[in-house]
Amino acid sequence: MLIELLTKRYPGMRAWLMQRLTALVMAVYSVMLLVRVAILQPSIYEEWLSFFQPLWFRIASWLFWICLSLHAWLGVRDVFKDYVPNYDVREVLLKILAVLLSVYIVWATWLFLVY
Amino acid sequence: MQNNELQTSRKSAQKNRPKNLNLTTIRLPINALVSILHRATGCALFLILPVILLALQYSLSSAPNFETTVSILHSRFTKLMLLGLAWAFFHHFYAGLRHLAMDVHWMTTLMKARYTSKVVLALGAVTTLIFAVYLWF
Repeated sequence: MLIELLTKRYPGMRAWLMQRLTALVMAVYSVMLLVRVAILQPSIYEEWLSFFQPLWFRIASWLFWICLSLHAWLGVRDVFKDYVPNYDVREVLLKILAVLLSVYIVWATWLFLVY
Repeated sequence: MQNNELQTSRKSAQKNRPKNLNLTTIRLPINALVSILHRATGCALFLILPVILLALQYSLSSAPNFETTVSILHSRFTKLMLLGLAWAFFHHFYAGLRHLAMDVHWMTTLMKARYTSKVVLALGAVTTLIFAVYLWF
């Protein structure tokens, strides 16, 4: 039954679960980030640069950004569904949202690759 | 043909939908307050995303740019913005954890939900206060 709820027949359940899973990943990352900042306390450029150097941190940050994008997509989509009753306008807004989040993903990926 | 009928029925459903947009007539219980703030802070956090990416990129690009970013972050206006943003983050964080707790059927009765609403608001305020102390002292 639980598995059946996650099939394509119930897309709402998938969205619901995705929102929760991404939230958990982001919560863990946020606490980790706060602890890392508190321990390393980067105050000059070299320290700030080396803060982003470890491979595990880049991967974690990238994963965080992917989760953030999915989470924001579901959240803002719900807001549009509630407050934008006109279907055409809503479709346009959702497309803009998708483009924006995609651009942010490319931007963030580029940042974690370059620095 | 069928698609057209669906569109028409959708349109009439839209027109006949009841609306109550007079916000002053709506009483806001504390759990509703936490809920709407969760949504509002989520929207605010979404809107600030490009600024975060821009700040990251600029501060990482070179040593002088890093210094500029730090000096911008030290200005009074930016600090106030940061404080508001920090509250938005902390509230969204704690209210989200409350949602997760309720998803596993923990604290779901009305009295308990009211209690956890107060806890969420208090935790958000306290954490923001700690952040303010860290920002200014």
